[in-house]
Amino acid sequence: MKTVTLPARILWSAFFWTYERATWQYDVMVVAILAFVWLTPPDWLGDPMASGNGPVGWVMAMLNAG
Amino acid sequence: MTLTGLIGQVCMLPLRAIIAACVALRIHPNILTFVGVLINVAAAVALGQALFITAGFIMIVANIFDFIDGKVARELHAETKFGGFWDSVIDRFSDIALFLGLIYLYSTRGRTDYVMVTAIAMMFAIMTSYTRARAESLIAKCKVGFMERPERIVLFMIGAFTNRMAAVMWVIGVLSVFTVADRIIYTYRELRDAGPEPVA
Repeated sequence: MKTVTLPARILWSAFFWTYERATWQYDVMVVAILAFVWLTPPDWLGDPMASGNGPVGWVMAMLNAG
Repeated sequence: MTLTGLIGQVCMLPLRAIIAACVALRIHPNILTFVGVLINVAAAVALGQALFITAGFIMIVANIFDFIDGKVARELHAETKFGGFWDSVIDRFSDIALFLGLIYLYSTRGRTDYVMVTAIAMMFAIMTSYTRARAESLIAKCKVGFMERPERIVLFMIGAFTNRMAAVMWVIGVLSVFTVADRIIYTYRELRDAGPEPVA
């Protein structure tokens, strides 16, 4: 019997997606996607229409000022 | 109740009123579908002009039409096989129109890299629909993978309203690749488990 570690199982479940909408797994995926979209600094992605470091930059600026 | 379930129920409140109005006016669902694609083309033009907020609002209106056509058809007892086919075909045009708007925008900015990212996201978004349609001609159901049309639409709106379209293209692209792969794997397994095919 092949043993699969928990992180590997989570990664496989995220890749091979079989969950319905409005389940807690779906909510977790939505939160992860929104975090990526809103928290990733546009400069890191070379966004043609947005610039700056976004929320990450604000936090860094606050930390540097403090 | 999950977070996304709650959001869905809140959004359904105004939609029920719109569905009731369309039923009362006896608007044919196929017309609603067609109006939806025309409005989506307008959203694509706005995206192409970098008018993201405007595009976001137009997308909301367009997708109300997309969303209610099937429900109006049920209420009017006007569900037909052609209606389902028409809806699927028109949805692909709507999808492609939005991606083309962005491709035009990025090309006018000389951003070949994002032209490619958006084109690849578009290709896999279309393949997501195709793999399911083709799979369901061989097996009963092939509803696996995360990135389906409702998710793409909501992500487009989020990207437009918050000016994070580049990140959204990456998410749609990567998760659409996974979704297509999921559907190929799932269909392979289902056909393998069904046993050998009879020789013609």
